[in-house]
Amino acid sequence: MSFLVFIVCPILFAAALAFTQLDLTSREHLHFVGLDNFREALKDPYFIQATKVTCVYAIMIVPAFVVLSFGLALGLQAMTFGRNAVRGLIFLPGMFNVVVASIIWRWFYDGEFGFFNYLLKRVGIMPIHWLGEKTLALPSIVVMSLWWGLGGATIILLAALQQIPTHLYEAAMIDGATSRRLLTNITIPQMRHVLLFIVVTSTIGAFQVFGQTFMMTNGGPDRSTTGLVQLIYDTAFNKYRLGYAAALSWLLFAMILVVIIVQALLLRRSID
Amino acid sequence: MLAVAVVFLSPAVLMVFTAFKSPDEVLNPSSAIPHHWTLENFARTLKYSEEAPFAQWLLNSMLISTSVTFLVLFVSSLTAFAIARLKIKGSGKILAVIVASMMIPGQLFLIPVYLMLGWFHWLDTPLALIVPATAGGFGVFMLTQFMRSIPPSLEEAALIDGCSLWGVYSQICLPLCTPALATLGIFTFIGSWNDFLGPLVFMDSVRNYTLPVGIALYQSSYFTEYGKTLATSVLGTAPLVIVYCIFQKRIISSMATTGLKD
Repeated sequence: MSFLVFIVCPILFAAALAFTQLDLTSREHLHFVGLDNFREALKDPYFIQATKVTCVYAIMIVPAFVVLSFGLALGLQAMTFGRNAVRGLIFLPGMFNVVVASIIWRWFYDGEFGFFNYLLKRVGIMPIHWLGEKTLALPSIVVMSLWWGLGGATIILLAALQQIPTHLYEAAMIDGATSRRLLTNITIPQMRHVLLFIVVTSTIGAFQVFGQTFMMTNGGPDRSTTGLVQLIYDTAFNKYRLGYAAALSWLLFAMILVVIIVQALLLRRSID
Repeated sequence: MLAVAVVFLSPAVLMVFTAFKSPDEVLNPSSAIPHHWTLENFARTLKYSEEAPFAQWLLNSMLISTSVTFLVLFVSSLTAFAIARLKIKGSGKILAVIVASMMIPGQLFLIPVYLMLGWFHWLDTPLALIVPATAGGFGVFMLTQFMRSIPPSLEEAALIDGCSLWGVYSQICLPLCTPALATLGIFTFIGSWNDFLGPLVFMDSVRNYTLPVGIALYQSSYFTEYGKTLATSVLGTAPLVIVYCIFQKRIISSMATTGLKD
């Protein structure tokens, strides 16, 4: 019942909204505008900019996310004692609210009182405005998001590593395989489905980035960290252009779908 | 790997230490550990004020997350019971639709749900955060899978002995599902507690905020008072860290299996 009201209805409603003009600030009533919202989006420099930011963010974070979580899982697997404690600590940041995580890191990055600049000052380097520079802000947010999000993927990958039958390794070692060959010829092929899962889910997450940018830079400086969700939020709840924002949400959904389908096809082909 | 663990832990530890420092020491740190431990930051956070009723936010978050958790458990388990056990025509299709709905990004729901809540006059009330949250498909999917793995013979025996369907659901099915219900409950609670976009959009007046939104908007006005902001953050995070410490094993083991299903 609540599923019908809050899932099915909103989807149909969102679909309808995307084709209407609904501005809470203007006196004009809701009316049908056909594809106008979509046409406007394709010409909207803010939309194009936000799409670029989102894609750049995804391109920066997804490979780092997959490689690091895989590396952490391999490291944990190799541990002889204390594995569970370290695993618990790596996952701990994931418990933190995006607000709290952002506050901690904004303090770290602060141009005057920040922890990183404190360290830089110690070694005699001029302080850097991490979040204030157009080129540094987005990478800084990537680093924070990695700290925040790696734990979950690491746990999943570690569990998958532990599922690989040990006789595969034993047989290969008898045949004189190096540890590098063990990794490329046994571990990675055995893990391909889980790795694909991590790639796809982290991509979906990257396209939906919002809390961090909202909290740490509010999209700035100069819109260099305004991703698509931030743009949708601003359009809907600061400019009150709900119809247009609904159209933008559909475009975001379409982009995510296209990207993950392409990823799945490419990776499927290369691993099978 | 120990170094890695330190890297992951240190931001949290620095946060806690700094929350205990005096404002002077926050701005001119000489070491990570405070010279003079002080509760000043916490006292200022907890002191009641119109702009930042911290205790009220905490209460709101508790109320909302607890209600969401119990409602989700109730609604999802009832739906899952109907799909897994009652031989209703088309229940497979219903499940497929519910699972498909999980693929849709949450932002798509934001605007239509916002307008609907406006029509119901639910905006700026806890209902806006509680009721829509019960509609998630994940719980139904997970519990249906779990119920299907339990042999139905026990329930059939109860039915033959004259137990009502409600009795079968509440007396037999639910107790058997305890592990799955616990996992779902923990994840729902964490998700609801950490939800940011929902309360940010649906709540208007300061006293109705949940903790995350409260902290977020409050810290934007006390930007550089890091001691105070961090003390607020520590207090806001503590409940979840306690939940995490208690249920760590279950949380991690159920995280671990999410990747193995497909």
